Amino acid sequence: MLSKERNRLLCETGPGTAMGELLRRYWHPVAGAAEFGRPAVKAVRILGEDLALFRDKGGNYGLVDRHCPHRRADLTYGFVEERGLRCNYHGWLFDHTGGCLHQPFEETRHPAGRFRDKVGIKAYRVREKAGLVWAYLGPEPAPLLPDWDRYHSRGYKQIAISQVPCNWFQCQENSIDPVHFEWLHDNWSRALRGADGPRAPAHQRLGFDEFDYGFVYRRIREDTTEDDELWTTGRVCLWPNCLYTGHFEWRVPVDDEHTLSVGWFIDELPGDTPFGQDVIPCWYAPVRDERTGRWIDSHVMNQDFIAWVGQGVIADRSKEHLGESDRGVILMRKRLLEDLDAVAAGRDPKGTIRDPAVNHRVHLPIIGGLNRPAAEDGPRPFPFLAGQPDEVARGFERAWRDCAAAVPDELTAGG
Amino acid sequence: MADTVTGRPRTAREAAEAQAYGLTSEDLRDWAPFSPIEIYWARKHDLTPAAARRWAREGLRVCDAVRAVALGMNPQEARPWADAGFAPCDAVEAKQMGVPLAAALAWREAGFIVPDAALLIHDGWTLEQAVNARYEG
Repeated sequence: MLSKERNRLLCETGPGTAMGELLRRYWHPVAGAAEFGRPAVKAVRILGEDLALFRDKGGNYGLVDRHCPHRRADLTYGFVEERGLRCNYHGWLFDHTGGCLHQPFEETRHPAGRFRDKVGIKAYRVREKAGLVWAYLGPEPAPLLPDWDRYHSRGYKQIAISQVPCNWFQCQENSIDPVHFEWLHDNWSRALRGADGPRAPAHQRLGFDEFDYGFVYRRIREDTTEDDELWTTGRVCLWPNCLYTGHFEWRVPVDDEHTLSVGWFIDELPGDTPFGQDVIPCWYAPVRDERTGRWIDSHVMNQDFIAWVGQGVIADRSKEHLGESDRGVILMRKRLLEDLDAVAAGRDPKGTIRDPAVNHRVHLPIIGGLNRPAAEDGPRPFPFLAGQPDEVARGFERAWRDCAAAVPDELTAGG
Repeated sequence: MADTVTGRPRTAREAAEAQAYGLTSEDLRDWAPFSPIEIYWARKHDLTPAAARRWAREGLRVCDAVRAVALGMNPQEARPWADAGFAPCDAVEAKQMGVPLAAALAWREAGFIVPDAALLIHDGWTLEQAVNARYEG
């Protein structure tokens, strides 16, 4: 349970808010790199700021104020040029650093006036990594963009993005809440299928361990012991706004009432021949069933979305009754509140990386290890989100077939 | 102690995990039965194997033991809390947030677990205010 003031402190992420300042100390995924295979511009709203994300013909990514500083026209309708983005209203051109490069009429009338040198546009750092486009909206110097070890695993990768109409923080609390798996995913999925059988194995014990990049949560269920990796290795609440279970689920605040769920997934492939992907496909997953108007409930993350939006646009934590299953949630809140103090005092919050020597294949605990075997029964349907495009499913099947064909027969015989 | 250390057999995967944290097989042996991530966290915070085991006997995991040591606690301080039916780590939470055992008992009776109550108490809430707030509006 939190006071309304504490709740606001944790939930509000716009410019000038305490949590906004905290989250601006981290890189956030905002789009798929596949969306920028050729020069393009798109509207992006994160942390309450309306921005234009573009990749110019020179290959530079830029993230600038969506509105031209001249007379506020929408730059997402602008021209992508060799160097920068040009407003479609009067032709002002801005590069990825926010500098104004050209003002056609001003320079015709007063070529020596150099009005452009007096005009700039808000611009943020952008990087591409692991098939994602990342943005940093905080003060300089920016921390390093983490190079997680999982990015380098062999497998078929894909990115799926959804916009969820609720506050980011209730989404992230889900990442340190082990018991919800039993009910929201296991038991409810059984109920949705009409299964009449016994309930999923119940949780018996939970454990939470802090480490450099977040918290590990551990669980013992009726069907597992202390020797099971669910306890020995656990899963990761990755700081400050991600869940890592072998795949990543970032929860990026769009504004205080919407969250961008950015999922990075990998499916292991047969054999061990080198496998590379020129492009990691990125697709946008629907959250609502257009036929019924109800939230989609068929896939794991869609079920999470239903829980989150069900808590309200911004969950009212002053009316909660927290129990033993919520120890992780409280731990996270408390740690974030401590981080708010750290940022206010000018210190780095938890989990930022500044040492380049550290930022190489940074290890995160993972059940099954980084090189898990491929499923024995062939490529499985994507379980996390509804709406996977056919071409992405086919891409995975093709990758599977190609890798399986390279596996010597004696290794697959009888399999 | 079984509740507070991961206590697993030494496996190839654990060896890989240990390597990721810069630990040697000697480290694993010296720190048995703690897991690599626990060993890493303990060493990062100057907690010795003996101290980690001592705290584990009182029911505290390494990360809670690290907090307890930073607060100047000794392992015996966790015992009254465990005897009263609280999780041993609640003793650390209570110490950090300035919640006496009697208050924790009263808040528990009203349905607040210690870390939840501690944050509210720290913010200046009374138990009555907290109970009323839950049902306002």
